[in-house]
Amino acid sequence: MNAKILTFSSRGDTTLLEYDPATADMEEINRVIAEYEARTGAQPFDMATGERLERVTREQNEGLMVHPIAGG
Amino acid sequence: MAPAIVSVIAFLVLIVWRFVFAGSRSGPLARAIARQQQRHSNPLAEGLHISDLGTVAVIAENQFENNSGGLRSLDRKDRAKAYLRRIAALTGATQTGSAYVLDVGKMRFRVRDRHVSRLRDITDPGCALEETCFYPVHRGMPKAEEIATALLQLMNNPALFDRWAAQSGAYKADGQAFSPGQ
Repeated sequence: MNAKILTFSSRGDTTLLEYDPATADMEEINRVIAEYEARTGAQPFDMATGERLERVTREQNEGLMVHPIAGG
Repeated sequence: MAPAIVSVIAFLVLIVWRFVFAGSRSGPLARAIARQQQRHSNPLAEGLHISDLGTVAVIAENQFENNSGGLRSLDRKDRAKAYLRRIAALTGATQTGSAYVLDVGKMRFRVRDRHVSRLRDITDPGCALEETCFYPVHRGMPKAEEIATALLQLMNNPALFDRWAAQSGAYKADGQAFSPGQ
């Protein structure tokens, strides 16, 4: 089963990345996630536990990039 | 001689006709491929660069992009509500009317559409209720997903409430300040 990284956007839920966790280069996955965070401020959360992730590992099957929030 | 010239002309006309006909049939196909390529590039607009990912990972297009506008919008809201229910279950939040109540330690948050209130200590009957507004920096997401985003962030980092209340800009989930243009 493929793992995926999604985000909430103006188009609703949008899948950003889809990969085979058994064979994927996780360094590369995390590099792409870090690049996305640098551009959007979104950080990865584990959709199985609801906890924020420092790094995505092969154990996560579904991650959610959570965008920043401002007060107002 | 004349019949030979007529034959050559007829042959040339047939060749030209074949090319014109073939071109008109392949036009829509070429356009469809172009549209498909355009859809595949849509996620790039959200700022993710994947040109050198190779076979490691792919960006999947939103599977509902092919729907008509109305259906897509309806489906988008339904899916957003489903994600909110799922995240509420993950965080232990309970729905009361249009709001979601989330307990983190002794704190109680009540999150609704772009509003959040906090009781610092639910064991203290005299504890004051504090309120503030919030909005995701990424604009236009469905309301249910905005609430889900706030629930996830507050569960992991309840101190974010104070940052939001201070109205001092946007913050990532880990509490770091974020400027959209950075």
